[in-house]
Amino acid sequence: MSAFVQYTLQGLAAGGFYALSALGLAVIFGVLGVVNFSHGACYMLGAVIAAVLLAEVGIHFWVALLVVPVIMFGVGVLIERLLVRWLLQLDPLYNFLLTFGLALVLVEAVKRRYGVSGLPYEVPAGLSGQITVAGVGLPAYQVFACLFSVAICLLSWLLLAKTRVGMIVRASTEAPERTRALGINVGLWVTPVFGFGIALAGLAGVLAAPFRAITAEMGSNFVIVLFAVVVIGGLGSILGAVVAGFLVGLVEAYGVAYAPAYAQIAIFVLMAIVILVRPSGLFGREETA
Amino acid sequence: MRSRTITAPLAIAAAASLALAACGGGAGGGPQSGGDSKLSDGKVVIGLLNDQSGVYKDLSGPNSAVAIQLAIDDYKAKYGDKAVAKDIEIIQADHQNKADVANSKAQEMYDRQKADIILDVPNSAAGLAVATQAKAKKRLYINVGAGTTALTGDQCNKYTFHWAYDTAMLANGTAGTITKAGGKRWNIVYPDYAFGQDMNKSFTKVIKANGGTVGESIPTPFPNDNFATFITKAGQGNPDVIGTMNAGGDLINFVKQFNQSSVKGKVQLAVGLMFITDIHSLGADQFAGTQFTEPWYWNFDDTNRKWADRFKEKTNTRPSFAHAANYSAALNYLKAIQEAGTDDADAVVSKLEGKKIDDVFLRNGEVRAADHNVTHDVYLAEVKSPDQVTEEWDLEKIVKTIPAAEAYGDANPACKMG
Amino acid sequence: MPERTEVVTSQPRAGAPRRPLLEVVGLSAWYGEAQVLSDVSLDVGSGEVVTLVGRNGAGKTTLLRSVMGLHKQTRGSVTFEGLEITRRTADARARLGVGWVPDDRGIYATLSVEENLLLPPVVHEEAWPIERVYESFPVLHERRDFPGTKLSGGEQQMLAMARVLRMGARMLLLDEPSEGLAPVIVQRIGEIIREIKGQGVGVLLVEQNVKFAATVADRHYLLAQGRVVEHLDNRQFQDRESELLTYLGM
Repeated sequence: MSAFVQYTLQGLAAGGFYALSALGLAVIFGVLGVVNFSHGACYMLGAVIAAVLLAEVGIHFWVALLVVPVIMFGVGVLIERLLVRWLLQLDPLYNFLLTFGLALVLVEAVKRRYGVSGLPYEVPAGLSGQITVAGVGLPAYQVFACLFSVAICLLSWLLLAKTRVGMIVRASTEAPERTRALGINVGLWVTPVFGFGIALAGLAGVLAAPFRAITAEMGSNFVIVLFAVVVIGGLGSILGAVVAGFLVGLVEAYGVAYAPAYAQIAIFVLMAIVILVRPSGLFGREETA
Repeated sequence: MRSRTITAPLAIAAAASLALAACGGGAGGGPQSGGDSKLSDGKVVIGLLNDQSGVYKDLSGPNSAVAIQLAIDDYKAKYGDKAVAKDIEIIQADHQNKADVANSKAQEMYDRQKADIILDVPNSAAGLAVATQAKAKKRLYINVGAGTTALTGDQCNKYTFHWAYDTAMLANGTAGTITKAGGKRWNIVYPDYAFGQDMNKSFTKVIKANGGTVGESIPTPFPNDNFATFITKAGQGNPDVIGTMNAGGDLINFVKQFNQSSVKGKVQLAVGLMFITDIHSLGADQFAGTQFTEPWYWNFDDTNRKWADRFKEKTNTRPSFAHAANYSAALNYLKAIQEAGTDDADAVVSKLEGKKIDDVFLRNGEVRAADHNVTHDVYLAEVKSPDQVTEEWDLEKIVKTIPAAEAYGDANPACKMG
Repeated sequence: MPERTEVVTSQPRAGAPRRPLLEVVGLSAWYGEAQVLSDVSLDVGSGEVVTLVGRNGAGKTTLLRSVMGLHKQTRGSVTFEGLEITRRTADARARLGVGWVPDDRGIYATLSVEENLLLPPVVHEEAWPIERVYESFPVLHERRDFPGTKLSGGEQQMLAMARVLRMGARMLLLDEPSEGLAPVIVQRIGEIIREIKGQGVGVLLVEQNVKFAATVADRHYLLAQGRVVEHLDNRQFQDRESELLTYLGM
């Protein structure tokens, strides 16, 4: 029984992190309709920048949590202005291919500069021990990562649901043309929203640095799990990404614990079932074309 | 937005197809070709086929070409005008850790680029693919980077040699030493593909032979990011030792998460396959105290350090065992040409077979004729704690030398040369 | 009814200001190769309600979209409050005071009723404060926290009109506001139109409901195959109501 509790808590801890990692993907898709395949590479970039800042400038974890998203926001703005913007009017496949290519370029660039073996990073002071939850010892850092992720998801939700900026973003998402006709320069909001999504990817990267290998390829497989999370949750839905993040974390943990041979497939089976029952995902809106 | 209805399936299809893209395979064969003048095409062509962009790039990669060039320099310096091989060329290719790519690149090297030998080829599946080509083309192939025992087992052949290490040797070194020292009850975590399965079998065999037991062998996906639940499972039943057979980025993921888990401190961690590049990337503090088997270490003695200095001059980094092994393989291959007076493959093979070698890489080395496994002394290494580290790559302490006979055992009976 | 090609442009009108609020001159529009508007000219004064009447496909909605700046394939000029706005984007036109109420009402499902009202920026000093909106439309106040699309069709129409009034639009482009609504609601919409007319707001109304149009409008343009074929004041329009109904196929 205690093992079951432990698997559950581990699944939840991983799930919170998945939710945050997938959030930027959901936001960018929701607002721009862009399937951003470079999300994994931006996550990797966040972790690599954190490691480089630590090694070369001595900027430690807590500061990196603030600085790296700001840098990645800038990266996102550049990507949107220089690349994504020009294809927004075309079939979404074009931006999908563009960001896929961009991911390859970013991964290769990091390999060239920092090699393939990865970069070191330490667990921040004070979070290296254990926390006992419900009689089960859990890594303090992973508990922190989960809670921090949930907090950021909540803040993002508040920003989107409760502020004027969020209102404009939601309106622009739902009906860009009509929103323009109501006096709002929709194009002006596209760039910062893309930057915000990329900043979230970078933030997830910083959060990953203390407990994941920091390599150029670290996002290449991870992004596939994140796509599963976003598809299960409903493309574009923040609440969906959070719920699906936890769901995927739990399915993965139980799979590993009780059916290791099927653990990896379990996530995608879950995705297939959700799509069959609710094609737009758990919290996706049924779109009317 | 009408576009949404298109992109939802698109994202799903993309996720699915990328998940599948990890799988791959290929096979191929080619016509035979041969040449038997004193030097075929008037020169010796050494093909370096390895991972020049992926996970093994730092371990071996392009810097192995530098190591091979050092071997060529030493050969020319030693024999001067009397050198049989006066014109020696290195060609390189990236096999991207894919067996089908390795297969076609090997074919291209042997046929079109007239390679007399192919060196390195990390990744077991890729390494075995090239062995098939070597056998078909009747050209030499010395594997350095791959760990599979099949190269000197049921897939051995006359033209294939295995120079540095294999999974059985790592098991003898690590599992043998730790079990003998009292770590009797093991749980093993291994990545679920050819290399990991091979390591799991080898370790289990050695642990049992030394009076230990393996409670659970837990397969993990490959590659994998989240090991938390695997570590919890491996910690159940309070074993003495958890052995992880994960390698590269997955090993780093595993160790980072192991160090944060409640299992750490209660159980000894043994690592099946670890390279100096892994320690360097994770930082000595994360691995401090971990024991593993090392085929060669640059800071072991003066001979090694001197060679490591030469290497550093050219590359600005310290060599891994793979760099030293490629140097040793290339140098001994050239020396065998010198002895044979020709680069004809059969003549060179007969000079290499049974040869006893002591050089910068091989100590008490022998090119075992029965299975073409190159046996030599290896080392039980321990990762230094950060306060013991004196320079960037000074990360290991050699605890003990494991004699060649103990590390390699008898020739593999599965190998039928012919 | 035979096509009438002569366009009457100098009808006398009672109480119209000298300079029109909105002036469209020689407007043509295309969808790809197909021309849907040919050389249309019309004007709407402050406090004036002008309808566009015509069969389906006559180009009425395209005309409104072109005035709003949403339809890009056009030639000709659009002037608003004496300012040439032909090259301005839709959002810039909206901020000058052009309010669009599309035929599907354009209510956001992801925004609450109140958010639907608060979304557009306030662009004119005579914009309705939210309190006044709620006073005039108590039902919107009652349901202010509902998702916009949970309202009935009539309520959504009220919301769409209230939204551009709260923005402070000086010129309303109303696309078939009475369509599919119960007579009592249509009547209420008529009241609102008369109320805003009293405040000097101009209204360009696309309407197939000839009876309704006659109750609110000062003048009428009859559109056929992308051209203005008749320009009538309301008295002439009422006199020929049955003829027009036949023409429109009602």
